[in-house]
Amino acid sequence: MSAASETAGPKGSPNFHVAHHFDSADTQFDAGRMGVWLFLVTEILFFGGLFCAFFIFRSWYFDSFVEAHHHLDWKLGALNTVFLITSSLTMALAVRSAQVSNQKLTSQMLLATILLACAFLVVKYFEYTHKIHDGLLPAGYFSGQGFTSAHPGVFFSIYFVMTGIHGLHVVIGIGLLLWILFRNMRGEFSSRYYVGVEGVGLYWHLVDLVWIYLFPLLYLVG
Amino acid sequence: MSDAHAHHNNAPDHVPHVTPLPVYMKTFGALVVLTVITVGVSRIKLGTTVNLLIALLIATIKASVVAALFMHLAADHKFHSVIFVSSVVFLLIFVSFTMFDTEARGKADPIERERPKDPKNPFAKPTGLTTVTMPVAPAAAPPTPSAAVSASAAAPEPAPSAGYERVGGPRGPACHCGPGGPALSLMQRDGRGLSRPSL
Repeated sequence: MSAASETAGPKGSPNFHVAHHFDSADTQFDAGRMGVWLFLVTEILFFGGLFCAFFIFRSWYFDSFVEAHHHLDWKLGALNTVFLITSSLTMALAVRSAQVSNQKLTSQMLLATILLACAFLVVKYFEYTHKIHDGLLPAGYFSGQGFTSAHPGVFFSIYFVMTGIHGLHVVIGIGLLLWILFRNMRGEFSSRYYVGVEGVGLYWHLVDLVWIYLFPLLYLVG
Repeated sequence: MSDAHAHHNNAPDHVPHVTPLPVYMKTFGALVVLTVITVGVSRIKLGTTVNLLIALLIATIKASVVAALFMHLAADHKFHSVIFVSSVVFLLIFVSFTMFDTEARGKADPIERERPKDPKNPFAKPTGLTTVTMPVAPAAAPPTPSAAVSASAAAPEPAPSAGYERVGGPRGPACHCGPGGPALSLMQRDGRGLSRPSL
Protein backbone atom coordinates (compact mmCIF):
# COMPACT_ATOMS: atom_id res chain seq x y z
CA MET A 1 0.00 0.00 0.00
CA SER A 2 2.60 2.53 -0.99
CA ALA A 3 1.26 5.89 -1.99
CA ALA A 4 4.44 7.50 -3.21
CA SER A 5 4.71 5.53 -6.45
CA GLU A 6 1.35 6.85 -7.64
CA THR A 7 2.15 10.53 -7.26
CA ALA A 8 4.48 12.76 -9.16
CA GLY A 9 7.27 14.83 -7.69
CA PRO A 10 9.41 14.39 -4.59
CA LYS A 11 7.46 13.73 -1.45
CA GLY A 12 8.30 13.13 2.15
CA SER A 13 7.20 10.13 4.19
CA PRO A 14 7.41 7.58 1.31
CA ASN A 15 5.95 4.78 3.40
CA PHE A 16 3.04 6.81 4.68
CA HIS A 17 -0.44 5.72 3.81
CA VAL A 18 -3.93 6.30 5.11
CA ALA A 19 -5.21 3.19 6.85
CA HIS A 20 -8.28 1.77 5.16
CA HIS A 21 -10.57 2.49 8.12
CA PHE A 22 -9.97 6.25 7.86
CA ASP A 23 -11.75 8.54 5.40
CA SER A 24 -8.80 10.81 4.87
CA ALA A 25 -5.33 11.72 6.07
CA ASP A 26 -6.89 14.51 8.12
CA THR A 27 -9.18 12.11 9.95
CA GLN A 28 -6.30 9.76 10.64
CA PHE A 29 -4.12 12.59 11.90
CA ASP A 30 -6.88 13.97 14.13
CA ALA A 31 -7.67 10.54 15.57
CA GLY A 32 -4.04 10.06 16.57
CA ARG A 33 -3.81 13.48 18.12
CA MET A 34 -7.07 13.13 20.02
CA GLY A 35 -5.76 9.85 21.43
CA VAL A 36 -2.73 11.68 22.77
CA TRP A 37 -4.96 14.35 24.30
CA LEU A 38 -7.04 11.71 26.07
CA PHE A 39 -3.83 10.18 27.40
CA LEU A 40 -2.74 13.62 28.63
CA VAL A 41 -6.03 13.87 30.55
CA THR A 42 -5.13 10.71 32.47
CA GLU A 43 -1.72 12.22 33.14
CA ILE A 44 -3.27 15.44 34.46
CA LEU A 45 -5.53 13.49 36.82
CA PHE A 46 -2.59 11.30 37.86
CA PHE A 47 -0.47 14.29 38.81
CA GLY A 48 -3.63 15.91 40.20
CA GLY A 49 -3.78 13.27 42.93
CA LEU A 50 -0.25 14.22 43.95
CA PHE A 51 -1.08 17.92 43.93
CA CYS A 52 -4.12 17.14 46.09
CA ALA A 53 -1.84 15.33 48.55
CA PHE A 54 0.45 18.35 48.51
CA PHE A 55 -2.37 20.70 49.48
CA ILE A 56 -3.72 18.39 52.19
CA PHE A 57 -0.34 17.98 53.89
CA ARG A 58 0.45 21.66 53.42
CA SER A 59 -2.76 22.45 55.26
CA TRP A 60 -2.06 19.96 58.07
CA TYR A 61 1.65 20.62 58.58
CA PHE A 62 1.86 24.19 57.39
CA ASP A 63 4.80 25.21 59.65
CA SER A 64 6.87 22.26 58.48
CA PHE A 65 6.17 23.02 54.82
CA VAL A 66 7.21 26.65 55.20
CA GLU A 67 10.36 25.71 57.10
CA ALA A 68 11.35 22.75 54.93
CA HIS A 69 10.87 24.46 51.57
CA HIS A 70 13.70 26.86 52.45
CA HIS A 71 16.02 23.85 52.17
CA LEU A 72 15.32 23.64 48.44
CA ASP A 73 17.59 25.76 46.26
CA TRP A 74 15.23 27.99 44.26
CA LYS A 75 18.12 28.97 41.96
CA LEU A 76 18.55 25.37 40.82
CA GLY A 77 14.77 25.08 40.49
CA ALA A 78 14.67 28.25 38.36
CA LEU A 79 17.55 26.94 36.23
CA ASN A 80 15.61 23.74 35.63
CA THR A 81 12.52 25.78 34.78
CA VAL A 82 14.51 27.61 32.10
CA PHE A 83 15.84 24.27 30.81
CA LEU A 84 12.34 22.84 30.49
CA ILE A 85 10.81 25.98 28.95
CA THR A 86 13.63 26.11 26.39
CA SER A 87 13.17 22.40 25.67
CA SER A 88 9.47 23.09 25.10
CA LEU A 89 10.47 25.74 22.55
CA THR A 90 12.86 23.39 20.73
CA MET A 91 10.16 20.70 20.79
CA ALA A 92 7.62 23.09 19.28
CA LEU A 93 10.19 24.06 16.65
CA ALA A 94 10.84 20.38 15.93
CA VAL A 95 7.13 19.90 15.22
CA ARG A 96 7.11 23.04 13.08
CA SER A 97 10.10 21.96 11.00
CA ALA A 98 8.48 18.56 10.50
CA GLN A 99 5.37 20.40 9.31
CA VAL A 100 7.43 22.18 6.65
CA SER A 101 9.36 18.98 5.77
CA ASN A 102 12.70 20.29 7.02
CA GLN A 103 14.08 16.93 8.07
CA LYS A 104 17.51 18.16 9.12
CA LEU A 105 16.20 20.95 11.34
CA THR A 106 13.71 18.54 12.92
CA SER A 107 16.58 16.24 13.93
CA GLN A 108 18.59 19.16 15.31
CA MET A 109 15.66 20.45 17.33
CA LEU A 110 14.86 16.98 18.69
CA LEU A 111 18.52 16.58 19.68
CA ALA A 112 18.46 19.98 21.41
CA THR A 113 15.33 18.91 23.31
CA ILE A 114 17.03 15.69 24.42
CA LEU A 115 20.14 17.57 25.58
CA LEU A 116 18.04 20.06 27.56
CA ALA A 117 16.15 17.17 29.15
CA CYS A 118 19.47 15.61 30.15
CA ALA A 119 20.61 18.95 31.58
CA PHE A 120 17.42 19.00 33.66
CA LEU A 121 18.22 15.53 35.01
CA VAL A 122 21.83 16.49 35.81
CA VAL A 123 20.63 19.43 37.92
CA LYS A 124 18.09 17.13 39.58
CA TYR A 125 20.89 14.65 40.33
CA PHE A 126 22.92 17.32 42.16
CA GLU A 127 19.82 18.44 44.07
CA TYR A 128 18.99 14.87 45.13
CA THR A 129 22.55 14.01 46.24
CA HIS A 130 22.64 17.20 48.30
CA LYS A 131 19.33 16.28 49.98
CA ILE A 132 20.44 12.72 50.63
CA HIS A 133 23.73 13.97 52.10
CA ASP A 134 21.85 16.26 54.49
CA GLY A 135 19.41 13.52 55.48
CA LEU A 136 16.48 15.48 54.00
CA LEU A 137 14.62 12.32 53.08
CA PRO A 138 11.00 11.12 53.12
CA ALA A 139 9.30 10.86 56.48
CA GLY A 140 10.60 7.59 57.93
CA TYR A 141 14.13 8.13 56.65
CA PHE A 142 14.32 11.80 57.54
CA SER A 143 17.40 12.65 59.63
CA GLY A 144 17.82 16.37 58.93
CA GLN A 145 19.16 18.53 61.75
CA GLY A 146 18.16 21.93 63.04
CA PHE A 147 14.45 21.89 62.24
CA THR A 148 12.10 23.62 64.67
CA SER A 149 8.82 22.34 63.23
CA ALA A 150 7.54 18.84 63.91
CA HIS A 151 7.14 17.18 60.49
CA PRO A 152 9.63 18.38 57.88
CA GLY A 153 9.90 14.78 56.66
CA VAL A 154 6.33 15.01 55.31
CA PHE A 155 7.39 17.85 53.04
CA PHE A 156 10.33 15.85 51.73
CA SER A 157 8.05 12.84 51.14
CA ILE A 158 5.90 15.02 48.91
CA TYR A 159 8.99 16.60 47.34
CA PHE A 160 10.64 13.32 46.42
CA VAL A 161 7.46 11.63 45.19
CA MET A 162 6.34 14.57 43.04
CA THR A 163 9.73 15.49 41.57
CA GLY A 164 10.64 11.80 41.30
CA ILE A 165 7.56 10.91 39.26
CA HIS A 166 8.03 14.05 37.20
CA GLY A 167 11.68 13.06 36.65
CA LEU A 168 10.52 9.62 35.57
CA HIS A 169 8.35 11.35 32.97
CA VAL A 170 11.42 13.26 31.79
CA VAL A 171 13.36 9.98 31.45
CA ILE A 172 10.48 8.38 29.52
CA GLY A 173 10.29 11.55 27.41
CA ILE A 174 13.98 11.21 26.49
CA GLY A 175 13.28 7.65 25.35
CA LEU A 176 10.31 8.81 23.24
CA LEU A 177 12.36 11.67 21.77
CA LEU A 178 15.17 9.28 20.81
CA TRP A 179 12.60 7.04 19.12
CA ILE A 180 11.16 9.99 17.17
CA LEU A 181 14.67 11.23 16.32
CA PHE A 182 15.57 7.80 14.95
CA ARG A 183 12.40 7.64 12.87
CA ASN A 184 12.98 11.16 11.57
CA MET A 185 16.53 10.28 10.50
CA ARG A 186 15.02 7.43 8.47
CA GLY A 187 12.91 10.02 6.67
CA GLU A 188 9.54 8.95 8.00
CA PHE A 189 8.26 12.43 8.81
CA SER A 190 7.22 15.26 6.53
CA SER A 191 4.37 17.71 6.12
CA ARG A 192 2.20 14.78 5.00
CA TYR A 193 2.85 12.71 8.08
CA TYR A 194 4.28 13.92 11.38
CA VAL A 195 1.78 12.69 13.96
CA GLY A 196 4.56 10.97 15.93
CA VAL A 197 6.48 14.22 16.34
CA GLU A 198 3.28 16.04 17.26
CA GLY A 199 2.20 13.41 19.80
CA VAL A 200 5.53 13.21 21.58
CA GLY A 201 5.60 17.01 21.46
CA LEU A 202 2.25 17.19 23.27
CA TYR A 203 3.53 14.78 25.91
CA TRP A 204 6.71 16.80 26.32
CA HIS A 205 4.79 20.05 26.74
CA LEU A 206 2.70 18.40 29.46
CA VAL A 207 5.88 17.42 31.33
CA ASP A 208 6.87 21.09 31.10
CA LEU A 209 3.38 22.10 32.23
CA VAL A 210 3.56 19.97 35.38
CA TRP A 211 6.93 21.49 36.24
CA ILE A 212 5.45 24.98 35.77
CA TYR A 213 3.27 24.19 38.81
CA LEU A 214 5.81 22.14 40.76
CA PHE A 215 8.49 24.80 40.72
CA PRO A 216 6.60 27.62 42.49
CA LEU A 217 4.71 25.28 44.85
CA LEU A 218 7.78 23.40 46.09
CA TYR A 219 10.63 25.86 45.70
CA LEU A 220 9.09 29.30 46.02
CA VAL A 221 6.09 29.40 48.33
CA GLY A 222 6.25 26.07 50.16
CA MET B 1 -5.63 20.86 -0.20
CA SER B 2 -5.42 20.35 -3.92
CA ASP B 3 -5.87 17.15 -5.89
CA ALA B 4 -2.22 17.34 -6.90
CA HIS B 5 -1.46 15.97 -3.45
CA ALA B 6 -3.92 13.11 -3.69
CA HIS B 7 -2.79 9.63 -2.77
CA HIS B 8 -4.02 6.12 -3.30
CA ASN B 9 -7.59 6.57 -2.14
CA ASN B 10 -7.87 9.98 -3.82
CA ALA B 11 -8.25 11.75 -0.50
CA PRO B 12 -6.22 14.92 -0.03
CA ASP B 13 -3.10 14.93 2.12
CA HIS B 14 -3.11 16.33 5.59
CA VAL B 15 -2.06 19.96 5.32
CA PRO B 16 -0.51 21.18 8.55
CA HIS B 17 -1.43 24.44 10.18
CA VAL B 18 2.02 25.98 10.55
CA THR B 19 2.39 28.53 13.32
CA PRO B 20 4.62 31.45 12.31
CA LEU B 21 8.08 31.36 13.86
CA PRO B 22 7.77 34.72 15.70
CA VAL B 23 4.77 33.37 17.62
CA TYR B 24 6.91 30.58 19.08
CA MET B 25 9.69 33.03 19.94
CA LYS B 26 7.28 35.45 21.63
CA THR B 27 5.70 32.56 23.54
CA PHE B 28 9.12 31.52 24.79
CA GLY B 29 9.92 35.12 25.75
CA ALA B 30 6.65 35.40 27.66
CA LEU B 31 7.37 32.17 29.56
CA VAL B 32 10.85 33.39 30.57
CA VAL B 33 9.47 36.77 31.68
CA LEU B 34 6.69 35.09 33.70
CA THR B 35 9.28 32.80 35.34
CA VAL B 36 11.31 35.85 36.38
CA ILE B 37 8.14 37.51 37.70
CA THR B 38 7.07 34.47 39.73
CA VAL B 39 10.54 34.21 41.31
CA GLY B 40 10.60 37.95 42.00
CA VAL B 41 7.14 38.06 43.57
CA SER B 42 7.94 35.08 45.79
CA ARG B 43 10.84 37.08 47.28
CA ILE B 44 8.34 39.71 48.47
CA LYS B 45 6.61 38.59 51.67
CA LEU B 46 2.91 39.22 51.13
CA GLY B 47 1.71 36.49 53.45
CA THR B 48 1.91 32.83 52.50
CA THR B 49 -1.65 32.59 51.19
CA VAL B 50 -1.31 35.66 48.97
CA ASN B 51 2.08 34.45 47.72
CA LEU B 52 0.60 31.01 47.01
CA LEU B 53 -2.35 32.45 45.08
CA ILE B 54 -0.09 34.75 43.02
CA ALA B 55 2.25 31.84 42.25
CA LEU B 56 -0.71 29.68 41.18
CA LEU B 57 -2.12 32.52 39.06
CA ILE B 58 1.19 33.05 37.22
CA ALA B 59 1.65 29.29 36.80
CA THR B 60 -1.85 29.07 35.30
CA ILE B 61 -1.08 31.90 32.86
CA LYS B 62 2.12 30.08 31.85
CA ALA B 63 0.28 26.78 31.49
CA SER B 64 -2.41 28.47 29.34
CA VAL B 65 0.25 29.99 27.09
CA VAL B 66 1.96 26.61 26.66
CA ALA B 67 -1.35 24.85 25.98
CA ALA B 68 -2.68 27.48 23.56
CA LEU B 69 0.46 28.03 21.47
CA PHE B 70 3.03 25.26 21.97
CA MET B 71 0.32 22.60 22.14
CA HIS B 72 -1.64 24.34 19.35
CA LEU B 73 -4.97 24.41 21.20
CA ALA B 74 -5.68 27.95 19.97
CA ALA B 75 -5.73 26.90 16.32
CA ASP B 76 -6.81 23.31 16.89
CA HIS B 77 -10.19 21.62 16.94
CA LYS B 78 -12.22 23.06 19.78
CA PHE B 79 -12.92 19.54 20.95
CA HIS B 80 -9.29 19.12 22.01
CA SER B 81 -9.70 22.20 24.20
CA VAL B 82 -12.89 20.71 25.65
CA ILE B 83 -10.99 17.51 26.54
CA PHE B 84 -8.16 19.44 28.16
CA VAL B 85 -10.26 21.99 30.03
CA SER B 86 -12.69 19.36 31.31
CA SER B 87 -9.81 17.46 32.91
CA VAL B 88 -8.73 20.65 34.65
CA VAL B 89 -12.29 21.35 35.81
CA PHE B 90 -12.64 17.86 37.31
CA LEU B 91 -9.23 18.22 38.93
CA LEU B 92 -10.40 21.46 40.56
CA ILE B 93 -13.56 19.73 41.83
CA PHE B 94 -11.44 16.89 43.20
CA VAL B 95 -8.94 19.12 45.00
CA SER B 96 -11.42 21.74 46.25
CA PHE B 97 -13.93 19.23 47.64
CA THR B 98 -11.12 17.35 49.35
CA MET B 99 -9.98 20.61 50.89
CA PHE B 100 -13.55 21.46 52.03
CA ASP B 101 -13.55 18.10 53.80
CA THR B 102 -10.14 18.22 55.41
CA GLU B 103 -10.48 21.87 56.41
CA ALA B 104 -13.96 21.59 57.91
CA ARG B 105 -13.75 18.12 59.42
CA GLY B 106 -15.08 17.97 62.96
CA LYS B 107 -16.34 21.54 62.96
CA ALA B 108 -19.99 20.50 63.04
CA ASP B 109 -19.45 18.01 65.85
CA PRO B 110 -20.26 20.37 68.76
CA ILE B 111 -23.52 21.44 67.14
CA GLU B 112 -24.51 17.92 66.23
CA ARG B 113 -23.74 16.76 69.75
CA GLU B 114 -25.95 19.47 71.23
CA ARG B 115 -28.76 18.71 68.79
CA PRO B 116 -28.71 15.00 68.13
CA LYS B 117 -30.67 14.01 65.06
CA ASP B 118 -33.25 11.30 65.10
CA PRO B 119 -32.21 9.10 62.15
CA LYS B 120 -35.84 8.12 61.63
CA ASN B 121 -36.95 11.76 61.43
CA PRO B 122 -33.96 13.79 60.32
CA PHE B 123 -35.90 16.98 59.52
CA ALA B 124 -37.62 17.28 62.88
CA LYS B 125 -37.14 20.66 64.48
CA PRO B 126 -34.79 20.15 67.41
CA THR B 127 -36.04 21.26 70.80
CA GLY B 128 -34.36 24.00 72.78
CA LEU B 129 -32.72 25.47 69.72
CA THR B 130 -32.29 28.92 71.18
CA THR B 131 -30.45 27.70 74.26
CA VAL B 132 -27.66 26.00 72.34
CA THR B 133 -24.25 27.50 72.83
CA MET B 134 -21.13 26.47 71.03
CA PRO B 135 -18.45 25.22 73.41
CA VAL B 136 -15.55 27.58 73.06
CA ALA B 137 -12.95 25.33 74.58
CA PRO B 138 -12.64 21.57 74.66
CA ALA B 139 -12.75 21.71 78.45
CA ALA B 140 -16.31 23.04 78.32
CA ALA B 141 -17.51 19.98 76.49
CA PRO B 142 -19.73 17.59 78.37
CA PRO B 143 -18.93 13.89 78.24
CA THR B 144 -20.69 12.24 75.36
CA PRO B 145 -21.65 8.72 74.44
CA SER B 146 -19.27 8.68 71.47
CA ALA B 147 -16.36 9.69 73.67
CA ALA B 148 -17.30 6.95 76.09
CA VAL B 149 -17.29 4.42 73.24
CA SER B 150 -13.85 5.45 72.08
CA ALA B 151 -12.59 5.49 75.66
CA SER B 152 -13.67 1.92 76.11
CA ALA B 153 -12.18 0.92 72.79
CA ALA B 154 -8.81 2.48 73.45
CA ALA B 155 -7.94 2.74 77.11
CA PRO B 156 -5.37 5.61 77.05
CA GLU B 157 -7.75 8.04 75.37
CA PRO B 158 -6.78 11.32 77.03
CA ALA B 159 -10.07 13.09 77.57
CA PRO B 160 -13.65 12.95 76.38
CA SER B 161 -13.05 16.30 74.75
CA ALA B 162 -10.79 14.76 72.13
CA GLY B 163 -13.68 14.57 69.72
CA TYR B 164 -13.93 18.33 69.56
CA GLU B 165 -10.43 19.04 68.45
CA ARG B 166 -8.72 19.06 65.15
CA VAL B 167 -6.22 16.40 66.01
CA GLY B 168 -2.75 17.41 64.95
CA GLY B 169 -1.99 20.06 62.43
CA PRO B 170 -1.19 23.70 62.90
CA ARG B 171 -4.48 24.93 64.32
CA GLY B 172 -5.11 21.96 66.56
CA PRO B 173 -3.12 21.02 69.59
CA ALA B 174 0.41 19.82 69.19
CA CYS B 175 0.67 16.24 68.03
CA HIS B 176 0.87 13.99 70.99
CA CYS B 177 3.15 11.35 69.66
CA GLY B 178 6.66 11.59 68.40
CA PRO B 179 8.65 9.11 66.35
CA GLY B 180 8.10 6.46 69.05
CA GLY B 181 4.37 6.94 69.03
CA PRO B 182 1.66 4.95 67.32
CA ALA B 183 1.85 4.08 63.66
CA LEU B 184 0.90 6.60 61.02
CA SER B 185 -2.19 4.63 60.14
CA LEU B 186 -3.72 5.11 63.57
CA MET B 187 -6.86 7.13 63.11
CA GLN B 188 -8.56 8.74 66.05
CA ARG B 189 -12.26 8.44 66.49
CA ASP B 190 -14.05 11.68 66.79
CA GLY B 191 -17.73 12.33 67.11
CA ARG B 192 -18.83 11.54 63.56
CA GLY B 193 -16.07 9.58 61.99
CA LEU B 194 -12.36 9.55 61.50
CA SER B 195 -10.24 12.59 61.97
CA ARG B 196 -6.79 13.19 60.55
CA PRO B 197 -4.05 10.87 61.74
CA SER B 198 -1.92 12.11 64.56
CA LEU B 199 1.68 11.49 63.63
